[in-house]
Amino acid sequence: MRKEVVVDLVQKVVLVFLILYIVLPLLVPLIFSFSTLWMDIVPEGFTVRWYLKIFHRHKYYQGLITSLLVAVSAVAIDVFICVPAAYAINRLRGRAGGLLRSAFKIFPLIFPPIVVGTGFVQAFNRPPLAWSGSLMLAVFAHATLGFPFMFRNVLAAFQTIDERTLSEAAASLGANLWQRFRYVLIPNVIPGILAGSLLVFAISMGEFEVTSMIAGFGWRTMPLLLYRSLIDDIRTASAISGILVATSILAFLGMTLISTRVGAGKLRTKGARE
Amino acid sequence: MRRFSHEWFFLIPITVFLGLFVFYPLTRVVLRSFTDNFTGHCTVQNYLNAFTQARYLGSLKNTLWFAGACTLVGAVGGTFVGLLASRMSPKVRGVLLSFYSLPMTLSSLVVAFAFIVLLGRNGVFNIILSRYLGIPKFDLYSWHGLVVTYSFYNIPLMTLTMASVFLNLDRSLIEAARNLGAKAWQVWIYVIIPVLAPGFIAGISIVLAGMLAAFGTALALTGMAKSLLSLQIYSHASESNYNIPQASALAVVLIVIIVVSLLTLNWIERRLRPGGEGR
Repeated sequence: MRKEVVVDLVQKVVLVFLILYIVLPLLVPLIFSFSTLWMDIVPEGFTVRWYLKIFHRHKYYQGLITSLLVAVSAVAIDVFICVPAAYAINRLRGRAGGLLRSAFKIFPLIFPPIVVGTGFVQAFNRPPLAWSGSLMLAVFAHATLGFPFMFRNVLAAFQTIDERTLSEAAASLGANLWQRFRYVLIPNVIPGILAGSLLVFAISMGEFEVTSMIAGFGWRTMPLLLYRSLIDDIRTASAISGILVATSILAFLGMTLISTRVGAGKLRTKGARE
Repeated sequence: MRRFSHEWFFLIPITVFLGLFVFYPLTRVVLRSFTDNFTGHCTVQNYLNAFTQARYLGSLKNTLWFAGACTLVGAVGGTFVGLLASRMSPKVRGVLLSFYSLPMTLSSLVVAFAFIVLLGRNGVFNIILSRYLGIPKFDLYSWHGLVVTYSFYNIPLMTLTMASVFLNLDRSLIEAARNLGAKAWQVWIYVIIPVLAPGFIAGISIVLAGMLAAFGTALALTGMAKSLLSLQIYSHASESNYNIPQASALAVVLIVIIVVSLLTLNWIERRLRPGGEGR
């Protein structure tokens, strides 16, 4: 009996440590951003001053809007290219399909942000592709970094729904390709699309590496402002970090919610069939 | 009866996208790496520089050591946490693994900020260490500081992989081997390791490839003080010592290093696979 209690206690302590390892670095920016002073071990006071600064100072507010705009656009592009691609590659049997699937898996590993950045700074500086320094280039860069994540999620969704049977059933009822997509396939893979979108959105909001390489003079995203403020304005840095941490956590909660909903939905259809 | 399959039509958007934003820039990188920065003439000087100049050789060595150390820490830590996670009840495991998937989307600068507050010169832990325990402060801005910081990405990444690998490890397989008279070491070599190896190697491939190219957090913490290959590329591609051909050559070297590492790991994995080419 005694030994079990000890083992149980040790397990709980270990679990707390394992969770703290992740939670502590996430909480630090949040606590810092709501405190008036944190010079010693414990932070002091409560304030929202640093957040107000972001909303009132044009530079920061503009940065927030720019980041949101870039992230939403990158998500839109990735949806547009990945949903058809995942549909097609899921259908391709044999070598071509398998080859493409593993290619998309390896792609982000051998084409990391530093290489994407090096490519982007020199590939788009002369007509007809003179996009250097434009916000559009940042959107394309974020879409490039994000699409493997979108693709993986959407492909997984297509793989779980037995798309061929569904499509054939719909086709036999007279639905054309567009109707099959609109009324049968998209509603079935929407959880995958949403999960991928949240992931790409969160990655784009926090992206610093490539963005800083291709940044123009006319715009700044939140991470670029964070990089500057890490050096000279730690208070603003904490508020920007707080916003980015909140974005990651919210995106993540959204994904968890989607996956539990889908899990529950699957159980229901299974029950109905039996 | 086989009509033209409409699947290929659906691949048009992604083909255009990949062509424009992956293959075209990559081609430019490769072509520019063979030109001179000032004259534009064809040359292999940039590659010669990469392997003869002390700063690039140093950064190459640093990158290999740094990525190796990060991968080792990530592999050991992630395997340990993954093993613990696989022994937990499904509910607790779900909560733990949810937390461990959070760092994936977190900005490298936010991680840098958090670690400055926790472990920087006047960081919370450092104050506690030096004031109450009399232990010298931890230097976040050193190589091991960077390894500790990047572990915040690598250990969770490896944990997620290893947790599912351990969950897939079929205990009856081990028992069967023991019943057939296998000794403990034989069970490890012939049963456990071959089952764990593919997932483990897939995990460290992702960590190693990521760490060979990582620079965001390092740039935020130590600026250009720690010479990594990725930081050399960054400084030539976007900062004052602008030299795109040299950056391109270093980028090609980096890609080659990543590809060779991945192929090597893949080769090892195939040797370890049951019934693989190894035996």
